[in-house]
Amino acid sequence: MDFHFTKPDRLPAELDFHRFVLLFAHQFSDRIRFVGELELEHAFVEGLEDAGELELEQAYVDFLLTRAFNVRAGMVLMPMGIINERHEPPVFYGVERPLVDTVILPTTWFEVGAGVFGEVGRGLRYRAYVTSPLNALEFSAGEGLREGRQRGNRTNIQKPAVTGRVEYVRVRGLTAGAGFWAGESGFAFQPRFDVPVRVWEADARFARGRFEARAEIAGVHITEAGTLNDAVARLTGLNPNVAERLRGAYAEGAYRLFSSRRIGDVAAFVRYENADTQNRMPAGYVPLKAFDRDLWAFGATYWPDPDVAIKVDYVRERNRSQVVPAPRSFNIGLGWWF
Amino acid sequence: MRAFKLVALAIAALLVSVVLRAAAQTTVPEQVIDIAAERFSFNPSEVRATMGTTLRIRLTSDDTMHGFRIVGANVNVAIPKRNRGTAVVTFRPEKPGRYTFECSRLCGAGHSFMRGTLVVTEPEPGQ
Repeated sequence: MDFHFTKPDRLPAELDFHRFVLLFAHQFSDRIRFVGELELEHAFVEGLEDAGELELEQAYVDFLLTRAFNVRAGMVLMPMGIINERHEPPVFYGVERPLVDTVILPTTWFEVGAGVFGEVGRGLRYRAYVTSPLNALEFSAGEGLREGRQRGNRTNIQKPAVTGRVEYVRVRGLTAGAGFWAGESGFAFQPRFDVPVRVWEADARFARGRFEARAEIAGVHITEAGTLNDAVARLTGLNPNVAERLRGAYAEGAYRLFSSRRIGDVAAFVRYENADTQNRMPAGYVPLKAFDRDLWAFGATYWPDPDVAIKVDYVRERNRSQVVPAPRSFNIGLGWWF
Repeated sequence: MRAFKLVALAIAALLVSVVLRAAAQTTVPEQVIDIAAERFSFNPSEVRATMGTTLRIRLTSDDTMHGFRIVGANVNVAIPKRNRGTAVVTFRPEKPGRYTFECSRLCGAGHSFMRGTLVVTEPEPGQ
């Protein structure tokens, strides 16, 4: 759970109870178990997303067969990037999630599906799922795939998507992995046409002593972006200017300045990000430079308890546009987990 | 004289018990294993041991409170949060095979990925 104070430049300050999450589990037997996660965003739901969201982010049953091969079915998190499967506020730096994990990888990304997972030895583990695809009708220039998530709501599954991840966890403190997602996303158009979407990412995080580091790179390829833009323009009257390629990366370093059982831990962090949702445009389209963004985030986290995080940061965003100003903001957050 | 015999007998009994205990200690070897828990993995996630060895498993967490349970065995302990100490558990596998250990406390979205294997093998001939 977390709530934030945000003060962007030239805009009024805002206090938002961003996430309230209920996580629950049930073990039917040693081999069959259920995990569920229900999340209320922005404290209030009135039917429109701006007012809030009530989301069933996870609800799956695991059938545990062997160490190397297990089956999972239900509402699952896409195994993409550092944040999507590991999104409790005390475990990441910064009041808000990284921009790359927002506009390139649309966290929290969850869909209905089924698949397999396991650990094959020597610290190598995997997961692979077949899930419902993204809806290309909702893609946008600024937020990429984000609004295209079907989120388990009467999803179209005529051409299912596939996703997977391989992860190396053998060295203490190091987790390195790579994930992919591939699907056809043009099902909302009549007549239907294929919009093949490919998403890939690679990431690593490392912690040793007081030092922590993370890095992630991600990309999206939308093969028929030009056809998609034309079709959406005909349907809605607005051209979404969706790019053929979206790309982003970030690197983050943190250092625990103080660590005490009685008083808690304090860490300072710095993160650099680049996220460009207009990286390569289809023929005849011009990129909107406001969506080629760089970001520096500086801040600190104080954990009075390992499950409670008080966060402060300053985010300085820049973009390539001569017209659209990039936001800068001062943020305070309180996140907790139990 | 009778008192002397009783004292001698007591000393002899004490010596025998000390020798027997020492012998028992030398015949039951102990293996210390350190395992670190973190959302959402154990490190190491595969541990090897020889049957007949008493395992002394020391468990620490790099973040929140986790649990450590060996499936099918009477082992289930809480691992304290980061900086809150070490949980120690002893386990003596009765037969060779692969034992699954897992986090027994719901610790976040990827809780069910927190599993590992304890591989117990027969002792080598001559061991």
